[in-house]
Amino acid sequence: MSVLVFLEHHGDELQKGSLGVLAKAASLGQGDVSAVLAGGGVTALAAEAGSYGAATVYVADDASFEPPLPQPRVDVLAKVIRDGGFDTVLFANSVLAADIASGLAARLDAGLNWDLADIAVESDALVGKRPALQDTVFVDVGWRSTPRLAIFRAGSFDATPTGGGAPKVETVTVDLEPYSAAAKVVGQEHEEASGPSVEDADIVVAGGRGLGAPESFALAENLARALGGAVGATRAVVDAGWYPYSAQIGQTGKMVSPKLYVALGISGAIQHKVGMQNSSVIVAINKDANAPIFEFSDLGVVGDVHEIVPKLTELVNQRKGA
Amino acid sequence: MTTGARPSDYPPPFAAREFVGEPTDPVDERIEVGILIIGAGPAGLACAIRIGQLIEEQPELAERLGDVPVAVVEKGKQPGSHLLSGAVVNPRSLQRLFGGRYRIADMPSYGPVHGEAVYMLTRRAALRIPPPPTMRNHGNVVFSLSRLGRWLGERAEEGGATILPETTASKLLVSHGRVVGVRTGDKGRGRAGEALGNLEPGSDLVAKVTVLAEGTQGHLTGVAIDHFGLHGAEPQVWELGVKEVWKVAKPLDHIVHTLGWPLRTAKKYREFGGSFVYPMGDDMLTIGMVVGLDYRDADLSVHDLLQELKTHPKMRSMLEGGERVAWGAKTIPSGGFHSLPSSLHAPGLLLCGDGVGMVNIPTLKGVHYAIESGRLAAEAAVAALQPGSTPATSLGSYDAAVRDSFIWSDLHEVRDMRQVFGRGFVVGGALASAMTVSKGRIELGKLPAEPDADQPLLRSGRAASYPAPDGVLTFDKLSSVFASGNKTRDDQPNHIRVEQRVARDVAELWAHMCPAQVYEVGAEHDDGTVTVQLAPSNCVQCGAITAKGGRLTPPEGGSGPEYTLT
Repeated sequence: MSVLVFLEHHGDELQKGSLGVLAKAASLGQGDVSAVLAGGGVTALAAEAGSYGAATVYVADDASFEPPLPQPRVDVLAKVIRDGGFDTVLFANSVLAADIASGLAARLDAGLNWDLADIAVESDALVGKRPALQDTVFVDVGWRSTPRLAIFRAGSFDATPTGGGAPKVETVTVDLEPYSAAAKVVGQEHEEASGPSVEDADIVVAGGRGLGAPESFALAENLARALGGAVGATRAVVDAGWYPYSAQIGQTGKMVSPKLYVALGISGAIQHKVGMQNSSVIVAINKDANAPIFEFSDLGVVGDVHEIVPKLTELVNQRKGA
Repeated sequence: MTTGARPSDYPPPFAAREFVGEPTDPVDERIEVGILIIGAGPAGLACAIRIGQLIEEQPELAERLGDVPVAVVEKGKQPGSHLLSGAVVNPRSLQRLFGGRYRIADMPSYGPVHGEAVYMLTRRAALRIPPPPTMRNHGNVVFSLSRLGRWLGERAEEGGATILPETTASKLLVSHGRVVGVRTGDKGRGRAGEALGNLEPGSDLVAKVTVLAEGTQGHLTGVAIDHFGLHGAEPQVWELGVKEVWKVAKPLDHIVHTLGWPLRTAKKYREFGGSFVYPMGDDMLTIGMVVGLDYRDADLSVHDLLQELKTHPKMRSMLEGGERVAWGAKTIPSGGFHSLPSSLHAPGLLLCGDGVGMVNIPTLKGVHYAIESGRLAAEAAVAALQPGSTPATSLGSYDAAVRDSFIWSDLHEVRDMRQVFGRGFVVGGALASAMTVSKGRIELGKLPAEPDADQPLLRSGRAASYPAPDGVLTFDKLSSVFASGNKTRDDQPNHIRVEQRVARDVAELWAHMCPAQVYEVGAEHDDGTVTVQLAPSNCVQCGAITAKGGRLTPPEGGSGPEYTLT
């Protein structure tokens, strides 16, 4: 088996999701794993991939790859796959990765398994694990042809360094297909954000209807600031106009898996749960002792968020000051 | 405590004329099809399949129908996504439609009915009673209608039909008094209707004949009935069915129907309905609850009655050790014969299936009428396109064909049966039996039917006694919405038309009635009315709100549930 992992970068940082997939691929024990990276001035980033298990990193470093467009990257991957004879190509889900993977599937007439949560080698066969029936069961999926393409859900794997050394760096040059150069990025807008984005944050403080009023979101914001985390929201409060949609966590919002998730006044409807159940530690504060969230939280506090959260925030601030 | 508020005191902000108009796209941008079918359910797909067969028999027909001879517009993600039924199906229409080309055994069924039991339930006991004559199902076949829909969709495509999924038919195109097609709904609008970055405006689909096969509470069917004045002798009324599919440890080998508990038999409540449990192969079954929407108790929730039903020892023993794998809800038109439209066609237009109420409530059957009506509509549409005919005037052969079919004679036979239950369960039951035994020859005089939304409300306080969801046997509504596969985009325009300031009882009625938790009772005003808060993205498009004082219009195409096993 020869595995290639697509590494996505934003600015001069490799995305944790793709490093997680790389670490997982290396842990399969199926020989050396390679990675591919395309962008402008990205060669320096290749070294980091070594510590997540990449033996070789293919780098397409050219100003033409600077805009985050999928088609030029399809050209790069298609060439690397053909030249390197890779039979398995893995992606961490993102808008860009989804575009590249589907373009590649069409280009190479390859099978693409989508939305996988895990992968394993069973009786010498590669088996993808895909949640189905609203995440109540895992379905084993395979591929009929090579190369085998797969996209993993955000947060499927931890980006834990495997302790590998410096990778071999191979420079890739590609003549872009004429249609691949047809799209241009005319501008990029970045949403103003004071802290880490809710998807990347290690700590998320999320508020639900139990906060009682839009003003009470200050409780969540203050606690998030004290903890150095990001603020999330449930669909109910986004619907009610208390908080912007960009912070919505759940089935129809963002999927997050922080190290610590603090749920303030959140009942824990399943639509919310599926967006945050992979958090490492879940702390819930809710007045209603029967709220479903207490069934899947590690620490549950039955009480009024308006009393508890200000004190908690103060304590965190004191502790930080000390 | 009786208050007497009626949902119909608060009519929704809706007018049929908003959804009727001339084509607006420039002529060269309109999408032209031969015969346009709205709705990929049993009626619409049977229609498409039959047209495909007729084209095969008469190749010159294809030429007359143009590049796209048949198009089927479907609002769900795929055919079947929005289909839900029991369903014990009488196979005669499927057999006739395929004429031996496919047998029932080739279709994705769960096999023929091998015996049945009817129980009268009390809180703890189940008394087995002989099945009423209308509820004998020997020779019928158990299907998941959603799965059957997917299969029929494949057959329709095999026959040359083009299926357009994730597309809503939002407006009826009428030119010079004649239906000339539909306009599809926009996609990519924000909550206030503003264009988002991915806006895809709708288009005019123009056709020689348009067939509305939208199913229960069909949006354009209702609009067409208003626009062309096709109302039947009696208003249409509906029932609401909520069902679950369970993976179970031990298979069920027969079908089960129940009457009685958790419904109340006292006449003042007007609670007409029952439950069903049907086997689905070796390891699944489906359990559902159906209640007439002419009920009066604002506390009544069919979703929660189904949860309560599952706590009955009889039901619990069937589900023990099992797991719920799917959930869904849908209304069933129940007015029967007297509520059929006065005409099933208008210039350029044919109406089929559940949309016009071709359902036999005493036998709990409608799928085979839908399929038969679709087949007959195909033949009428094609006949109208023969040289010398014009689709504007010659679609009346469809009405004649329906009147000559078993659809008409079956519905006529049971024409007064549903209404008698307004007299209370016991009297109604006795009258219904007499009608069946006499094959419909007893004339009771036509019983008045009132729209469901005209029933004055009362409050019994029963909502407090619905079982608390345990996440194993019983569930809350949001978990059920999740199990329907619904992951509708939250920031799309609201598709539910209701008056948002109403009497408290009306708001409570909607909040309890809706199986998908779309309505919440909000702040109270000085005059005692309350604000109704909506979460439209929860909606599974069951249509109950249209029966009870509001109006469902289609949301963005592709929204709503994604049924696969219902």
